[in-house]
Amino acid sequence: MEELILEVKNVKYTRDGVTLLNNISFSLKKGEAMVIFGTEDSGISHLFDVIIRGDVSFEGDVLYKGSSIKELDYFSLMEYKEEIGYLHGDYGLISNLSVEQNISLPLEYHSSLSGAEIKNYVNKLIFDLNLDHCKKLRPFQLSRSEILKTAFARSIANEPDLLYLEHAFENQCYLNIITIFDILKKRIARKDKSLIIVTYRPENFIDIANRFIMFFNGRIVFEGSKDEFLYSQNPYLIQYKTNNPEGPMVIL
Amino acid sequence: MIENTVIKIGSWAIDIRNGVKDFSLFIKSIVTSFKSLRYIRFRSLYTIIINQTRFTGVDALSIVIIIALLLGATVIIQALTSLPKFGVEGFLGNLLVIIIARELGPLATTLIVIARSGSAIATEISVQKWSKEILAMELMGIDTKLFIVFPRIIASILSIMGLIIIFDVVAFIGGYLIALTVIYIPMDTFGQTLIDSFTFKDITAALAKSILFGIAVPLICCYYGFKPNSKFEIPIFVSKAVIRTLFVAIIVNIAISTIFYLI
Repeated sequence: MEELILEVKNVKYTRDGVTLLNNISFSLKKGEAMVIFGTEDSGISHLFDVIIRGDVSFEGDVLYKGSSIKELDYFSLMEYKEEIGYLHGDYGLISNLSVEQNISLPLEYHSSLSGAEIKNYVNKLIFDLNLDHCKKLRPFQLSRSEILKTAFARSIANEPDLLYLEHAFENQCYLNIITIFDILKKRIARKDKSLIIVTYRPENFIDIANRFIMFFNGRIVFEGSKDEFLYSQNPYLIQYKTNNPEGPMVIL
Repeated sequence: MIENTVIKIGSWAIDIRNGVKDFSLFIKSIVTSFKSLRYIRFRSLYTIIINQTRFTGVDALSIVIIIALLLGATVIIQALTSLPKFGVEGFLGNLLVIIIARELGPLATTLIVIARSGSAIATEISVQKWSKEILAMELMGIDTKLFIVFPRIIASILSIMGLIIIFDVVAFIGGYLIALTVIYIPMDTFGQTLIDSFTFKDITAALAKSILFGIAVPLICCYYGFKPNSKFEIPIFVSKAVIRTLFVAIIVNIAISTIFYLI
């Protein structure tokens, strides 16, 4: 049996009386790449609250490497977050740090590597992502793709077992960030690193992902492999892929 | 009319109680975060402490020196010209030590730090929160309370302590030199009077003030820096940070002065 890295079990998440996630269950194996997609307010953005934040109350359970994240105390939660690479669409680069300082921040804070080892490792990441020309610049001096690449490098600096990318590639020129896709493909090939991509554009990740999950109204309405994503006649999926306002989903 | 006044006072009291409770929770969260010290590498805090000390301490030197010169000269000229009229010129040294070293130096220095660094700290943290930099740090497993507040407290204590010493030295020496243009007093007499007047209590009082101001200024400014939930709230909370830190600084100054006079 392949080892699971993440299990979401019957999660019901309610905030201010509104049910945002309703009976959500799925699991992610080691080495698996999953794309989670759906319309705005479908619940895909609220997965972050239950999987990543770890400090909100919800029904059901989320297990990371077999342990419930609900039982984590203050410090265990910090360690859990340290183990997960997370990148969101706002990127959150520290504005008074340069590119290389931003990338080395999690290593400086957490790792037992020496200063020289961190520098070498960060330089390698900078080289792999074609950021050499701007490694001394601060975020406000960077282009959009350079900001994404820096934030991406920072999210993988700690070699996380699970990488969670949330709307990170929206509004980006895919030609400029091709180096990121190369690194993602290499990570998936390692079989011990898992990936979750939350996006409105699942078709952009067909070459990377091997599982696709679609949300609507806080529920899972489609789940399948790459082939099923491409050829399924699921009415929700067809409506989503064809951008058709007519269908089972009522779009406001 | 009376009913409205009572309601206003009551709601004001509730606001104060809620504010104090919220601030207490903030301090508690900082104390809790100190436990994270064993999980982190000090090198990640070291750069922040250096940068904050440079901004709060070194970069503020010029303005502190100018204000120390002006205030020192004013106090020394007033003391040299007025005390003889009352026949108490023998207390010149005591008066200067009390006014400059124990009261004016710590308070004026702290007011400068609040105006420069307090507002900067609150603004920086607010903007970091708004641009989701703080969220990004939290999601990297970085204890933001420790990573942001702790280095600023250390830097603030070091800076305020250093600036107070410089303020006092400049106020005494520079003030004396400026005062020479108005009234003559031999340097050795002036110096000896000051040395004779300094007591261990004066030094302890100034030290206690520098440590308490060094903790209070970044703590209150960080607290308000973490408060804004939207961009338009940033100036509101930065303004609150500066005004309330000023208020607390004056209260702390009075409290410590009173304690040391009673001892």
